[in-house]
Amino acid sequence: MLNDVTFGQYYPGKSFLHRADPRTKLLALIAFIVLLFVSNNFYSLLACAALLFLAILLSRLPLGSVLRSIKGIIFILVLTSVLNLFFHGGERLLFQWKFIKIYLEGVVFTVFLVLRLFFLVMASSVLTLTTTPVSLTDGIESLLKPLKYIKFPVHELALIMSIALRFIPTLIDETNRIISAQKARGADFESGNIFKRIKAIVPILIPLLISAFRRAEELGDAMDARCYTGSKNRTKYKKLHFGARDAAVFAAFAVLIAGVVLLNIYAAQIFPQIYEYLRLSR
Amino acid sequence: MSEPVIICQNLKFAYPGQEGYALNGINLTVGKGEFLSVIGHNGSGKSTLARLFNGLLTANEGKITVFGKDVSLRENIAEIRRHVGIVFQNPDNQTVASIVEDDVAFGPENLGVEREEIGRRIEWALSAVGMEKFRTATPSRLSGGQKQRIAVAGVLAVKPDVLILDESTAMLDPRGRREVIDVVRRLNKEEGMTIILITHFMDEALLADRTIVLNKGEIALEGTPDKIFENGDALETFNLRLPEISVICQNLRAAGMEIGNDLTPSRLAEDILKNLHSRGIFSAQTGKPKSAQIISDHLWDIDIKNLSYTYSKKSPFATNALKGVNLHIDDGEFFGIIGHTGSGKSTLIQHLNALIKLPQAEKRYHKPKAKKGVVPPPEPSVTIGKFNLADKKTDFKALRASVGMVFQYPEYQLFAETVFADVAFGLKNFNKNLTDEEIEAAVKSSVEIVGLNYEEVKDKSPFDLSGGQKRRVAIAGVIVTKPHILVLDEPAAGLDPKGKKEIMELLHKLHEEWCKTVIIVSHDMDEVAENCTRAAVISEGRVFDCAVCADLFARESELRALGLDVPLTVKISSLLAENGIAVQSDCTAKDFTSKVIGIYGGANA
Repeated sequence: MLNDVTFGQYYPGKSFLHRADPRTKLLALIAFIVLLFVSNNFYSLLACAALLFLAILLSRLPLGSVLRSIKGIIFILVLTSVLNLFFHGGERLLFQWKFIKIYLEGVVFTVFLVLRLFFLVMASSVLTLTTTPVSLTDGIESLLKPLKYIKFPVHELALIMSIALRFIPTLIDETNRIISAQKARGADFESGNIFKRIKAIVPILIPLLISAFRRAEELGDAMDARCYTGSKNRTKYKKLHFGARDAAVFAAFAVLIAGVVLLNIYAAQIFPQIYEYLRLSR
Repeated sequence: MSEPVIICQNLKFAYPGQEGYALNGINLTVGKGEFLSVIGHNGSGKSTLARLFNGLLTANEGKITVFGKDVSLRENIAEIRRHVGIVFQNPDNQTVASIVEDDVAFGPENLGVEREEIGRRIEWALSAVGMEKFRTATPSRLSGGQKQRIAVAGVLAVKPDVLILDESTAMLDPRGRREVIDVVRRLNKEEGMTIILITHFMDEALLADRTIVLNKGEIALEGTPDKIFENGDALETFNLRLPEISVICQNLRAAGMEIGNDLTPSRLAEDILKNLHSRGIFSAQTGKPKSAQIISDHLWDIDIKNLSYTYSKKSPFATNALKGVNLHIDDGEFFGIIGHTGSGKSTLIQHLNALIKLPQAEKRYHKPKAKKGVVPPPEPSVTIGKFNLADKKTDFKALRASVGMVFQYPEYQLFAETVFADVAFGLKNFNKNLTDEEIEAAVKSSVEIVGLNYEEVKDKSPFDLSGGQKRRVAIAGVIVTKPHILVLDEPAAGLDPKGKKEIMELLHKLHEEWCKTVIIVSHDMDEVAENCTRAAVISEGRVFDCAVCADLFARESELRALGLDVPLTVKISSLLAENGIAVQSDCTAKDFTSKVIGIYGGANA
């Protein structure tokens, strides 16, 4: 069941990307996703891929750990591929069987789409693999800070997120303990139909809820006792700093943005014969 | 007395919706730099008092002033909390952040302290608790004692003048307790911090300058610890017990020896030696203790061989919890398993009823192929009576019905609407064909043997019972299947001294009448020495030794090197042995005392 006590995907390391500011990485991911969707040809996509693979190299992550993240979206990938392949119209018919028609444009578009999703998921997992959930939260809080001026409770939201992160391992431990204890009393969570299984969860859920409320109450007292009064007049110890690494990341992205824009415009003129084949119908 | 920092006058407090006062007329003054310990049974009002001191609760009647400020006024609360810090019981529930330094920073951040100053405070607070190396660590990966020291640092960073510890050592193992108590004593001595230590451990209460005993919301006794612990009968009436050492002193005095009210093993050993010397006894040797004979038919022996276990295998966080454990426990023993938190003892006992299965018993097990030139590790095996736990075909459900397992704080696993339903849960799981009458009879007898009144509690919600009663219900819910072997993880944890004694008495009763073999996991050496016939010490995933208590604790220096404690009697014995008096007891206080008296009285004849 819940065997793995490690939380999140974080893969410990000290690489260039591990040390970069979380805000940089968050902004870079957003920019990357936008660029992926702005790209309207394979050359642009290739440029994005080049930067992605550079990032993976710099992160010193084992390639397997990055590729593993794709497992989660395989179903969606297959489904959209099949739909696109069969229902994408076009001019150059490749294959026909009864009412099923597959066009070259459909194949090209499907490949394009799959690659786009691939890169998107891989890039997100590079972020979560190189960034601890804690510094991710810090980054989000810092980026959302401007929203304070429209009375958005940024500090409270960040505190909620960080407390949630803090308690995940504790609650996983607790759940495992309760599961073991009820199993020792003969509870069976693995067999029977869906209704039986839902019913079997009650002896886990109730003690877990009770304990969560007890913890919440105690945590509240402990926070009060440590002079917590909300975000007013509060200082923050941890400050995020942009450094040379972040400048390098931003520079790389400036190059990529320029590259994608230029490639989007001039794609048709680079190797026109190849482009003709890979042209996406519009 | 030095300048008062906290003054309570006729303090009364009642929890809304509860009958009677939780605190009823407390008058107390705490002086600056004082080390005050507060003891009292569960529900005596100790924690309530702590919460009133810094305004987490507000008194119904009476007055508290802290540094001259009235706690009942809202505008004073913020300042009072800066002066009075509290460390609570459960270290897990006081940590806000996932990184140590962020958590320590929480208090000063709330006060609006500047960044550089917060940095300095983190450094100071962490070094005050000896955790400076863990500044960027994750609290959830630390030991209990380390977590609690982080909690202390988090409170220290606010720079309070008074530090309250509300049973802060109750959930820790002896090493963790020692770590926290050492920190507290150093803060008191070196920084002159005022300490209020609320505790269930009498040996901790002894360390204070002054002790108060709370009973049913009133101060029953007040004075220096040696005065308080002179009077065992009085403490007994307040549901407390004398510290073990005071009991030994009393019994020796009763035998005519001149023993002061010694509260440390070294002072007691000195006194004993003085008495013996005055009678001209400078060397002596007692006979070896008789080892208890267990009459066993060996039908339900537990045999463990080559047991290893790794958590989070093949991940960067893999940890070897067990590294080749060999252990044999005879049918009918009252057995102890000793070890630190994280020594692997919990992993070990979870194998006993296949909550963790041996690899060979897993559905998808394939025998690893032998590699050339590599000797394969020996296959682990566990047998319990007729059950072979390495066999896929073993009826694990039947095994679990025969090996009862009571986890730590078992009351946290109660879930049903009534006591009856909760106790019957296991029974119905294991045997679906029982009639209602059979179920009722089994539930009734198990609720009664744990010492509860069946008619009174059966329809009550388990959540409405007191802490001690809940634990009994939880135990009843395990023994209801009449297991042959009962395993309990820290059965007495978190209970007050009287509750502890009662639980141990209950276990002996169960051992005689209900379950043949009883195995307790404990880190309280005195508890093991007093109750178990044999014990095993687990350290870092290995069995250090498994023997009768007398032989086990004879390896005192090695146990200490492992960071484990030894029973009190062993400490005194070894001090006596250095001076030529060899007392070989079975490590129980009773046997030790009678042997010392024997040597002393022997000179009379």
